[in-house]
Amino acid sequence: MGDIVVLVKPALNPDMVRSKPDGTVDIDAIPLKLDDIDANALFEAQKLKQVLGGKIAAILVLTWGPADKRAKDLRMVAQEALARGADEAHIVADDSIIPGDPVTTASAVIATIKKAGLNPDIILVAEASIDQTTGQIAGRIAGKLGLPFISFARKLEVKDGKIVAERDLEEHIEVLEAPLPAVVSVTQEINEPRPPTLIQIRRAAKKPQNYYKVADLEGVATPVKQGLEYKILTVSRKQTIIEGDTLEEIAEKLISLLEQEGVIKL
Amino acid sequence: MVKALVVGSSIPEIREALGAVASVEEKVVLAYGKAAEDGSLEQLGVKVYKLKSTHPDHIVAAVEKIFNELKPEIIIGWITKNNRAALSYFAGKHDLPMPTDVTSLKIQADGLVYTRGFLSERATAKEKVPFPAVVLINQKAFKPVETSGQSEVIEITPEGEIVKLLEVKEKALSGINLEEAEIIVGVGRGFKKKEDLELAFNLAELLGAQVGASRPIAADYKWLPEDAWIGISGKRVSPKLYIAIGISGAPQHMAGVMNSKIIVAINKDKTAPIFKQADYGVVADLYQFLPVLINKLKERKK
Ligand SMILES: Cc1cc2nc3c(=O)[nH]c(=O)nc-3n(C[C@H](O)[C@H](O)[C@H](O)COP(=O)(O)OP(=O)(O)OC[C@H]3O[C@@H](n4cnc5c(N)ncnc54)[C@H](O)[C@@H]3O)c2cc1C
Repeated sequence: MGDIVVLVKPALNPDMVRSKPDGTVDIDAIPLKLDDIDANALFEAQKLKQVLGGKIAAILVLTWGPADKRAKDLRMVAQEALARGADEAHIVADDSIIPGDPVTTASAVIATIKKAGLNPDIILVAEASIDQTTGQIAGRIAGKLGLPFISFARKLEVKDGKIVAERDLEEHIEVLEAPLPAVVSVTQEINEPRPPTLIQIRRAAKKPQNYYKVADLEGVATPVKQGLEYKILTVSRKQTIIEGDTLEEIAEKLISLLEQEGVIKL
Repeated sequence: MVKALVVGSSIPEIREALGAVASVEEKVVLAYGKAAEDGSLEQLGVKVYKLKSTHPDHIVAAVEKIFNELKPEIIIGWITKNNRAALSYFAGKHDLPMPTDVTSLKIQADGLVYTRGFLSERATAKEKVPFPAVVLINQKAFKPVETSGQSEVIEITPEGEIVKLLEVKEKALSGINLEEAEIIVGVGRGFKKKEDLELAFNLAELLGAQVGASRPIAADYKWLPEDAWIGISGKRVSPKLYIAIGISGAPQHMAGVMNSKIIVAINKDKTAPIFKQADYGVVADLYQFLPVLINKLKERKK
């Protein structure tokens, strides 16, 4: 019986962007959170577990540092993954691979699978993250391991050692079949994850969180991406709330403002 | 000498990616899917490999073959789902960097300097990666090449299939070109059921607008065809006027509308993030406000 591996990204929270006085991004000041679509991946893993058995192992690779300052955020993300159904968490936190790049992250995930003795039937990955949105980790891992890769899955079913999935493309949907083990990237539409219950949160505190350094692992690539500049995109919008005693008055004001702006013609 | 391999499934994609690497001396093209059936391939003026398949496994095998022969420094294409799937697999296999969603590109002797969105496009990142590198560019971010000439066309046989394709289901699309719309009414989860979108359609009709949507409305609930989906993973639009109704203003949605001239937000929650990203805000229940607004517009039209 194999394991279900779910990648969980401690991602910079784009709703809490912080800037420095010179307009560059203050990356170190932006808190980390469990990435949005990882919640879908974890929820899907719980469904698959009922068919596949085995355990759900969450793998987290810290890509934003400094590692010691991120320790609390990282523990919280791991804890949330455990509350959302993972049975154990494996965490790579090492300043030598921070800030991460996808080449490094994919190699660290594979190294962790080996080190932790996991034997995945399926590796679930979110289609994209909220901070980098490169949507490439799943494909990379499949490519490095030479495993079947199904991307953008909107529906998954496992039967008789095979996986059948609906792959969501721009203009159509493909129904695909692959042997296990396989790597699957999931979309936000695959399910509607429920927030963890109080009992799940309490149980999570007792589940194992294993930490690794790069020195504990084999074959972790060194980052090749060089960051040159990270700038906040400032949108200058008028931010005018239209006030009025009645909705009629507000509607009239809105219409005349839009006419003044020259964006509607009546 | 820098060499580039352009990968794409349509002629506009291929022409734009060729434009992004215009300064590169040697360029070859891998045209797959409907591009492989397109007669104008003959007029690209470069060496073209054509692959009559859209299966990512086949694309990977074809890229692999050309990569081994040509040893290109750059492998480049549009950010489409098949490109992302196939090229991430390929990049992983060879541990190559792969910047995606790239909006500008500088080709240097020892690598690529590029800019891309960061933090769900609340910010931009300027970064550098060494060669060889895979690059996925944003649609319409680069100037397509117009050049033409006789191409040398070589057909590649599809091979390397691991995942089996059982069936293809068509999606119902509206065919509306939101990118060209001057006014767009955007609908979000503030609408409680599909029938209620009638309010938005009535408003749109009065304004001569098209109707777009947030991701959950189009992709999850399927209340509108998916080509109405606006945002980082949907369409990027640039109307004169965008009216967001019952949309909270998530960064992934706003990434698709940031080039609008004027943004209006109608939302019942005065703390909704959209108000900070709008020019004009109306704090009201859409079910009360829209009928009033529609009536006023009708009166004015008389
Ligand atoms: C990698 C990634 C990519 C994504 N890509 C996209 C994308 O391309 N496009 C996209 O849209 N989203 C995208 N999302 C999803 C995005 O994060 C949000 O979940 C989504 O945009 C929310 O849609 P919404 O605003 O319609 O719904 P909600 O966030 O639920 O907002 C509904 C709003 O309606 C208001 N409301 C409720 N009732 C009423 C009423 N009666 N009258 C007036 N207002 C009311 C509420 O106050 C609320 O603000 C992506 C997410 C991820 C992680």
